[in-house]
Amino acid sequence: MIAVFLAQWQKEKRSPYAILLFIALGIMLTIVFGMGAAKKMSYAVYAGDGLEAPQAAEWVRLLNREGKFEFRLIEEERALRDVREGRAELAVKLMAEDYRIVMAADNPANREVEELVRTVYNEELQLRAAAASADDPQQYLEDVERRLRQPPLALEIEAADGGEPVRNDMSLQLLFAFTLYTVIMTVGYKVNAVMEERSSGVWDRMILSPLRKTEIYLGHMGYSFCIGMTHIAVALALFRYVFGFPIGDRYGMLLVVAAIYTIALVAVGMLLTGLTRTPEQFGIVLQIAAAAMPLLGGAYWPPGTVTNPIILAVSEFVPLTHAMEAMKGIALQQYGPAELAAPLAKLLLIAVLCMGVGINMVERRSH
Amino acid sequence: MLETTELVKRFKGTYAVQGVSLYLDKGESVGLLGPNGAGKSTTISMISSLIKPTSGDVLLYGNSVVKNPAAIRKVLGVVPQEIALYEELTAYENLKFFGRIYKLKGKELELRIQEVLDMVGLRERQKELVRTYSGGMKRRINIAAALLHEPEIVIMDEPTVGIDPQSRNHILDTVRLLNREKGTTVLYTSHYMEEVEQLCSRMYIMDHGKVIASGSKQELKRILTGEDILHLQLDGPGAGMAGELRMLDAVLQVEETENGLKLIVAKQSRILSQVVQIAERHQVEILRVHVHTPSLEDVFLHLTGRTLRD
Ligand SMILES: Nc1ncnc2c1ncn2[C@@H]1O[C@H](COP(=O)(O)OP(=O)(O)OP(=O)(O)O)[C@@H](O)[C@H]1O
Ligand SMILES: [Mg+2]
Repeated sequence: MIAVFLAQWQKEKRSPYAILLFIALGIMLTIVFGMGAAKKMSYAVYAGDGLEAPQAAEWVRLLNREGKFEFRLIEEERALRDVREGRAELAVKLMAEDYRIVMAADNPANREVEELVRTVYNEELQLRAAAASADDPQQYLEDVERRLRQPPLALEIEAADGGEPVRNDMSLQLLFAFTLYTVIMTVGYKVNAVMEERSSGVWDRMILSPLRKTEIYLGHMGYSFCIGMTHIAVALALFRYVFGFPIGDRYGMLLVVAAIYTIALVAVGMLLTGLTRTPEQFGIVLQIAAAAMPLLGGAYWPPGTVTNPIILAVSEFVPLTHAMEAMKGIALQQYGPAELAAPLAKLLLIAVLCMGVGINMVERRSH
Repeated sequence: MLETTELVKRFKGTYAVQGVSLYLDKGESVGLLGPNGAGKSTTISMISSLIKPTSGDVLLYGNSVVKNPAAIRKVLGVVPQEIALYEELTAYENLKFFGRIYKLKGKELELRIQEVLDMVGLRERQKELVRTYSGGMKRRINIAAALLHEPEIVIMDEPTVGIDPQSRNHILDTVRLLNREKGTTVLYTSHYMEEVEQLCSRMYIMDHGKVIASGSKQELKRILTGEDILHLQLDGPGAGMAGELRMLDAVLQVEETENGLKLIVAKQSRILSQVVQIAERHQVEILRVHVHTPSLEDVFLHLTGRTLRD
């Protein structure tokens, strides 16, 4: 078994570029897209229907008070042209007591903006209405302002089930998604060595030697596992200690999840080996599978974006879905062993099934 | 020591091997000859326990290899037809790996590696990547990898296809050394009749999954001893006289060649004068006559109607 492992390692030392490339790719994708996600989105607003400049500025102040997005007041003509020509997703037309949103496409992100604008307008208009019926409107507004700053009763937002609301941090989510995605490629290409050796005849030589079959498989799978683990550990360590991403203090827990995820990936690799006939075929199927996994698992979008029940059902069979859930849980939501049990058990189940079926098919192919 | 009994292998309806029985005595060097697709490699795979026969068995000292593959694996070295090496590693690293999987270690492993490198004449170039080797050098390492554990029986599947003469001579020398000096039993598969003639005391000729002839060189040639081969070099086309020649009782076969005709005739048939008369009648002049005693190639041609390299 050690001989099998060492031979793979020697090959690696000769050409470590593939794995280095995949690690670099994961980090680059995270930095490009993850940093983008962390930055506040900025949207244009313009004054419409003869709204006076001071009033418009007041609305912009109110919109920006939420802090979720950045709103900039610009010329109507430019705002509309930007949307028309695809430079901006949307523009908000401010009116004295109403608003309009001009958007290029209806998507979850745009809907979030609309939601915010509506809330701000509603609250402000209600407040003004109440003030109008008060004896001294100016005094009333100041009172409200003051009380809001020092609320006698702090309001807490709760999720429907009474728990804490699910917080999500897109940049962290993408960090995990790209890391878990690129490691699929790393592990896949290592497992493909099984197929390469079967077609070159090295495998037959090992079969004829005193090596036991379990040693051959364990040597290969152990090697793929170690490389996969190294990839994730290095990537997460770089993110945390070099780039300063807030992945939390539970680096060790993340590695436990990474280990189980990597085992599942090795197993999926064995399944692909059983399903394909040549190393080239394996490579193609691997790329398709690797690209599909994060898409099916919704890894690139905010949670809840994917609602299609079929895709959701399929994603249950994708290791990346469960690894994402577990890692986000650890980094963002203080998941403990009880919450981690379900995703990790599912990962192990996928591992056992794929490994069993995969090795069986590989063995059957040899007769 | 090793024998096969009526080996049959069927792949999805087509028979690759249909009833092959052969044996190897200890210390023998035996050839296995046959054209492409004859079933040589499939037979070897069954002997070495890599694939299970559809029916029949392989016996090592009387014990079934199909039931107990471990027994033969211990004493066997197989040189596969395709080069089965890590191209990304050096020759030395490859040999180290193949030695390790045979449980060799330390000093002994080093010693064996250098010994087999000497045998195939690549000691000087052991630190180079196999990827950068010529085809012939790869073949030599492919052989060396099968010899590390000093097997009692070595099976080589076409070890000399498509290589340069220098590598080929090295390989033939290696086989001789193994067989004559180390007493290794060798089963040598090839397309090349002359290699087998040189290396092997006995041979099997396979075609279409069957052994069509077997025995020593002399025994096989005796198949054709009742016949002579006559090469006629003519100054014009021989097609005209071929028909008339075929009518003669002593003529068994007539074939047109580049510059004349080739006849297979019964021995001592005193046919020459008749041939000359026929040639005169067709106004063709015989420039040269060559009488030729048959080679093993001719035996093969005779048995299969094809040449070995077709
Ligand atoms: N795994 C397989 N599946 C289906 N058919 C096969 C398989 N292996 C061999 N055959 C067929 O069996 C026949 C014998 O093949 P084999 O490789 O034993 O011939 P060979 O004598 O070694 O030929 P060559 O000189 O080309 O190596 C061929 O017709 C081949 O196509
Ligand atoms: Mg062959």
